[in-house]
Amino acid sequence: MKFNSWYLTSFLISFIVLIPIITVFTSFFENTSNYYEILKNTFLIEYILNSFFLLLSVLILTFILGTGTAYLVSFYKFPGSNFFKWALILSFAVPPYIYAYSLTAFFENYGTAFTILKNLFGDANYNKNIPKFDGMFGAILSISFSLYAYVYILARASFLYQSQNLIDLGKNLGFSKFKSFYKIILPAARPAIVAGLSLVAMETLAEFGAVDFFSINTLTTGIYNSWITFDDLAFANRVSFFLLIFIFSLFILENLSRRKAKYHLNSKGGFKQKEKIKLFGKKSFLAFTFCFTVFFISFLFPLSQMLYWTIKFPENLFDLQIIDLVLNTLYLVVLSSSVLLIFSLISNYGNRVSNNKTLNILSTLSISGYAIPGVILAIAFITFIAWFDNSIIKFLGFTSIKKLFIGSILGLVLVYFVRFYSLAFNGIKSGYEKINISVDEGAYLLGYSKRKTFMNIHIPFLRNSLLFIVILISLEIIRELPITLILRPFNFETFATTAYISASEDLLEAAAVPSLFLILIASLFIIITSKYILRELHE
Amino acid sequence: MRRYGEQMSKITIFGLITSLFLSTLAVANEVNVFNARHYKADAELYSKFTNMTGIKVNLINGKSGALEKRIIEEGSDSSADLYITADAGRCGAMDAKGHLQGGLTSKAIKAAVPKTFRTSKWVGIAKRARIIYYSPERVTGAELSGMTYEGLADPKWKGRLVIRKSSNIYNKSLVASLIENNGKKATAEWAKGVVANMARDSKGNDRAQIMAVAAGEADIAVANTYYLALMLSGKKGAEQQEAAKKVKAFFPNQNDRGTHMNVSCAALVKGAPNKANAVKLVEFLLTPQSQEHFTNNTFEFPMIDGVSPSPLVVNNLGLDFKQDMKTKLASYGKNQAAALETMTAAGWK
Repeated sequence: MKFNSWYLTSFLISFIVLIPIITVFTSFFENTSNYYEILKNTFLIEYILNSFFLLLSVLILTFILGTGTAYLVSFYKFPGSNFFKWALILSFAVPPYIYAYSLTAFFENYGTAFTILKNLFGDANYNKNIPKFDGMFGAILSISFSLYAYVYILARASFLYQSQNLIDLGKNLGFSKFKSFYKIILPAARPAIVAGLSLVAMETLAEFGAVDFFSINTLTTGIYNSWITFDDLAFANRVSFFLLIFIFSLFILENLSRRKAKYHLNSKGGFKQKEKIKLFGKKSFLAFTFCFTVFFISFLFPLSQMLYWTIKFPENLFDLQIIDLVLNTLYLVVLSSSVLLIFSLISNYGNRVSNNKTLNILSTLSISGYAIPGVILAIAFITFIAWFDNSIIKFLGFTSIKKLFIGSILGLVLVYFVRFYSLAFNGIKSGYEKINISVDEGAYLLGYSKRKTFMNIHIPFLRNSLLFIVILISLEIIRELPITLILRPFNFETFATTAYISASEDLLEAAAVPSLFLILIASLFIIITSKYILRELHE
Repeated sequence: MRRYGEQMSKITIFGLITSLFLSTLAVANEVNVFNARHYKADAELYSKFTNMTGIKVNLINGKSGALEKRIIEEGSDSSADLYITADAGRCGAMDAKGHLQGGLTSKAIKAAVPKTFRTSKWVGIAKRARIIYYSPERVTGAELSGMTYEGLADPKWKGRLVIRKSSNIYNKSLVASLIENNGKKATAEWAKGVVANMARDSKGNDRAQIMAVAAGEADIAVANTYYLALMLSGKKGAEQQEAAKKVKAFFPNQNDRGTHMNVSCAALVKGAPNKANAVKLVEFLLTPQSQEHFTNNTFEFPMIDGVSPSPLVVNNLGLDFKQDMKTKLASYGKNQAAALETMTAAGWK
């Protein structure tokens, strides 16, 4: 084993990413104040129950939406099936919190639904007949319709890879279409679907914007509120600990199912391109209706609500510094994704060349940043910097470093780094797994240095994985809310923070303009890269 | 060509790194505001201030909770000069935690703002009242006659009242003022009565409470004054303008201490690096022009004498009501934790 510079660098990177996670864990053992002890105990149960209920409902709904649409577009031909294939991913462009604004705007007393009814049928009090999608129910809908695309993408990828033989088998056994679906197709795609669902689960537990908007106490908002209201970081950390346990179990589950997925793919044997069945008449209509409804509710509905408000209250359009916001967003995207790419490449390469167990474990642990909600990461970061500054920097007699990290782009990018490191690291790792180690050995034999092997051989090989990672990270950062909100510098806004701040001031119609732009930019991005997103996940 | 590309990428990386560090350096004549009020009108006033004085106003916008935390964690190194937020309870709580400093004591400030609405560390910049809204169709004059906040717990309102969640700061301050006047024990009983009278579990913002009365979900609602004016102004669309007309305002406690008043406040943060500029900005916000700008855009009541509220407020809510000038606003911060505890214990969601 060699302690070379590669090893040290990747060790350092993993360690930095681990700091907030360690902060959360260590403070679990601190004492909480007695004053609110009883109050908190009752809160804790409420948080856990709410989180669990929310999670379960979202999982059921995203499963139905995701696998249903994926099944239809992968096995059948019907009007629009080629369009839906990529259009269904567009829901990624609508973050749950913007979906929540749209739901409220449309269904509230005297909201858009009321206006439509009034214009159609004349004056009357329709409010009582308009269903109210708020509170827990609203949050479930907002999160599900925004996140089902994870399940859709992964399920579809898996469906596409199912061999024709398997489907023929169902036919030969005389199964009906429905029976072959749930007896053969669904079980075969299970690992992919579970992987999609666990992504949904992690995002749901970490969700802040929509849940906060509907003021539901989940573990995540509970942590935030106990920190804010009770000033009790120790309690907040204790709740975080529960959340982490929750999330780690999901994490393990996901890893297990991924292992299965690998097995499944390797054994697929004679792959025969299957032919899509053309649907006619009523069936074709039903398939179209299902996909269109999902597409409409998940994407067209929030888009048109935001568009409607922008047109109805155009003055908000002129108040917004659109160019600044675009530049800020681009700045964050470019900066963060380059930092993430560079360091994940280095640590992956370090892992590869030093092949060290400790390092492997450390880097596996360090990717759990993605599982920790952004709000908690941001809090842990501030706590850590404040502690580090007060106890070490001040002790050594240096000037405070707080301003360098809290409320600065540097701090913001650093926490993004911790949060999204897993995306970048895993993406590159799976790319690396495709490059046989003998390729490296061959390069060394030809007299290539490690650096040259890395630059001239690995990077070109990894190009596709790198591109895909950039797409994912960019989408995440365009939508990111809590970290940006807590850590951004003076006079620095993104579309997400502008929308959130207007919405929190009961100025939903002013939130519409930044929301609309966020959706448009993210959609544009998805449309440009959609072929790529769909292709990459096949592999 | 290739070499050129390499150089460009080096320059880009260098540029990114430099801008990273530059962005953390601050310079010059400025004032740093941690701002929890996000009205367009405020931003307009800040740029006016910059034009007049040459002092740049740096803003970090956010929800008050998160902003307070940042000030607290940054401690004496905080870059914050002023903390501007929409509730006296918040300024009071920051004071209680020792994160504010005295200094808002200039002649101009003292002359402009009555004593009840300021301390040396924070100053009210605009007023609002938390009042009762009712449906004139379903609530009679006799029922309302002599109505008080205390009366909200009267069983005659069973199933007829809407009010927002207990975690809401306006409610915390209202209940804190009741604790100040009636004691914690009586207020705990009162909270139970209020919860028993609710037409539904608390949800939504102040405007949603008013609309619930307009839509017939409840007969009375508790909400701040400027919301109705905002709806009547048409800024929220024609439907809400119509809805607002179905609701009337009532000022409680006219026969005793007066209606519960609250303020948007500006607080001077401990260790403020630009203290003098901060005081200048507060003085500017209290000038008649600024106050007029507030009243016409946010529909709050002016903090200073000689400026009248927006005609929408005057015509629809009335002006000649007795304000509670007795209960010190500093008590909102002081009793905040007790208020939340009282409401939570009563099952107020």
